[in-house]
Amino acid sequence: MAKSTIKLRTKEKGGKIQVKALITHPMETGLRKDKKTGKKIPEHYITEVVVTANGKPVLTANWSGSVSKNPFLSFSYAGTKDDKVKLTWKDNTGKSDSIEKKVGEK
Amino acid sequence: MKRRSFLKSTVLASAAGVVVGAGVLSPNVALAEKHGNNPFKAKSLDEVLKMLGATGAEASDKIKIKAPEIAENGAVVPVGITSEIPGTTEIISITAANPTPLSARYTFGEGAVPAIKSRFKMGKTTDVVALVKAGDKYYTAKANVKVTKGGCGG
Repeated sequence: MAKSTIKLRTKEKGGKIQVKALITHPMETGLRKDKKTGKKIPEHYITEVVVTANGKPVLTANWSGSVSKNPFLSFSYAGTKDDKVKLTWKDNTGKSDSIEKKVGEK
Repeated sequence: MKRRSFLKSTVLASAAGVVVGAGVLSPNVALAEKHGNNPFKAKSLDEVLKMLGATGAEASDKIKIKAPEIAENGAVVPVGITSEIPGTTEIISITAANPTPLSARYTFGEGAVPAIKSRFKMGKTTDVVALVKAGDKYYTAKANVKVTKGGCGG
């Protein structure tokens, strides 16, 4: 399997699950110019990130090109150690990727 | 006497101006046509607020923004937004000075803690405006970030 674009870390602490994710993505705004050709680099950024726990959505993020390259996301929710956390992203060119892990799994 | 009446009339005139201005701002039909009503395509902070219907957002000290006062590298500015308002369902982060100010919109599901951490690009020194939706109301807070090196095309 090809290397995933998503690094997902989850940790249980006091009844809350902390979710940290790092996604490998260029996040081009469409405003930057290529230094050599002077042409604009077409926009290419993640528009939607959905995090579910046991199939139930806990966080939906809608992003624009203002989110930095290789975006990082961190939040927490009330859950248990047995939860399965799944993160899916979609970008404006129709690409997507997802990853599912049990809480605490590396 | 003269001066007093002059003051009075200017106050009245400016009050009238505000009323007229508000009337012009409320219908966003023209904006909807221009950008297909996608707040992510809006070009200014005001437009974003209008499209979200959040122009009357109430300032709240229950929203905490954690952002650096001075960001050396505008391409990666860590920002954390926490809402202590009960019933928070959405946190919206707006980078006021960016070409498309609306940066991110987070919708929380059941059990999620209304706090997020992310990294944003900032083209120049800007206000980071946080909008929090709780129930049908919007609340807002802002923090200023000084950027010494731009993140967009820098």
